Amino acid sequence: MSIEYKRNAPKSHLSFFDTLKVGSSGLRSRRLRSALSALGITIGIAALVGILGLSESGNADLMNELDALGTNLLTIEAGEGFGTGTVDLPKDAPAMVRRITPVYEVATVTKIPGNVYRNDLIRDGRTRGITVFAADLNLLKAQRGTVQKGAYLTKVTSQFPSVVLGSVAAERLGIKTLTPEKKIWLDEKWFTVVGILNPLPLAADLDRAAIIGYKSAEKFLNHDGSVDKIYVRAYPEHILDVRSVMAATVNPEKPEEVQVSRASDVLEARAAANTTFTNLFVGLGAVALLVGGIGIANVMVIAVMERRNEIGLRRALGATKFHVAIQFLTESLLLSSIGGVVGIIAGIVVTATYSVFREWPIVMPEYAVLGGMVSSIVIGGVAGFYPALRAANMPPTEALRTR
Amino acid sequence: MVKPKVENAPFAVQLVDVSKIYPGSPPVEALLNLSIAVSPGEYVGIVGASGSGKSTLLHVIGTLSRPTSGAVYIDGLDTAGMSDGALSGVRSKNVGFVFQDFFLLSGMSAVENVENGLLYSGIRASERRIRAMNMLERVGLSHRIKHLPNELSGGEQQRVAIARALVHEPSFVLADEPTGNLDSKNTDSLMELLATLNSEGTTVILITHDPEVAAMSKRQIVLKDGRVEGDSLS
Repeated sequence: MSIEYKRNAPKSHLSFFDTLKVGSSGLRSRRLRSALSALGITIGIAALVGILGLSESGNADLMNELDALGTNLLTIEAGEGFGTGTVDLPKDAPAMVRRITPVYEVATVTKIPGNVYRNDLIRDGRTRGITVFAADLNLLKAQRGTVQKGAYLTKVTSQFPSVVLGSVAAERLGIKTLTPEKKIWLDEKWFTVVGILNPLPLAADLDRAAIIGYKSAEKFLNHDGSVDKIYVRAYPEHILDVRSVMAATVNPEKPEEVQVSRASDVLEARAAANTTFTNLFVGLGAVALLVGGIGIANVMVIAVMERRNEIGLRRALGATKFHVAIQFLTESLLLSSIGGVVGIIAGIVVTATYSVFREWPIVMPEYAVLGGMVSSIVIGGVAGFYPALRAANMPPTEALRTR
Repeated sequence: MVKPKVENAPFAVQLVDVSKIYPGSPPVEALLNLSIAVSPGEYVGIVGASGSGKSTLLHVIGTLSRPTSGAVYIDGLDTAGMSDGALSGVRSKNVGFVFQDFFLLSGMSAVENVENGLLYSGIRASERRIRAMNMLERVGLSHRIKHLPNELSGGEQQRVAIARALVHEPSFVLADEPTGNLDSKNTDSLMELLATLNSEGTTVILITHDPEVAAMSKRQIVLKDGRVEGDSLS
């Protein structure tokens, strides 16, 4: 007989669609509470997605900048001499460097002693940190820099007392527009400002410089023609080789006195520093997410206590323990995933808005969106697990008790 | 004990020598060697004072709790060895509950609450809606289909609950003090409805403390101290 009843025994059912409907019924009847508890997840996910998006967008901008500036620029300067203090680069260094085959651009600059003032009435010493540099005519090309106003030095202007100002120098001197009469007081002589440069990310010291030609440096400032720094562009695929032979080429006798650096390394270091920062904020976002998850668990525990009678009723109507558990688990999963989706959207909006504002390319990494979705679902599952178990294991007779 | 043979036309519910003892010191004997059989189509009123074991009997008949000893047959099925899930299946098919506090879900309309009676039966949603509408019409509430429970009077709410208990065509309706929260006018009309439904073939088991309410059923069973003290059938 026991076999017979098993064959005939009716079974409880609950379709997937009905499970969703039942799971969402609790949310629909307590909208404000549901929205507030989902908000915790929304904030956490929005923070994570936003931070990852912003850091990727910012890095993408930095990489674009690097691409535009090129990673094939080497800077050569004199290092410390062994027990001899400062040393100079050999006079023929630029010519030697030009002979390295993959090198296609060589530009030199030299710091010239001398102070720069807005006019001849300003007291000595108030130089505002502006230095004087003599530079080659192809400096701008080697740096891939651009001119903000006027023009860079030409073959003609470099022979006359003409000066081009770095972006910071122009600002400090209060020069915003160029007129033919715009002059500055440079080492006790009047120099005509012919151009203002845009910032040069690969040579930030030139931003604070007043740049003159070598010819005028020799004529007006008694420069002897030596060089301080050589900027070298070489073909990118050979840049490491060029770098390795550079010191010996510049100063075959004392290669250890030559310092070779790659300007783009600074920008790459900046990108790496961004990553460290991002990790910190991702950690903070994860904490926000954890708090959001606890909020959902809390709301679910309260829901199970409040809806005891509903649980009893459903058991009386034929719901199994599993049906009751899955109802509350679904409710918790819905809460967290709705919170997650809203958070992802908010994170994308924040990233897009800020990127547009900063003129960055908008980059939203898939792993941030995917990770946000997966983590909100996992949190919903974990937060709902215990309350669902508690609801399922509530004896129906207990659940149906009133008062 | 030899189990009685299940006949071709089994009882809607049959309790054989059922005892329910709650452990403790001293143990509480809520039901003691109690045997009741209800045939299909009957209208049974079980009456007893508080503490007579009414609630325990309700839970045992409704398969919400298992007896300590004895057998419970629902529509001929022996529930003794059944798993919790199998018992749920029996409830979804064979038992229709009506509670004193209605237990309608507040966020759902009358028809949706009635549909809940079919939710775990495996019937398609569109079919559930049709049956729920028909059932609401049978209890005289076809004009209240879309109303939420708090927009209905107590009498109407209990009618919705009765429709929910009947919509899956159970072997019997188990009503626990259904009039406990109703005024006398609504009590009368509800009892009239139960009588009508019974005359249309529904088996009704009514559990109450009120002899007046129990008197409206065709057969009365008096419960005292966990035993049957009187059965108008025998």
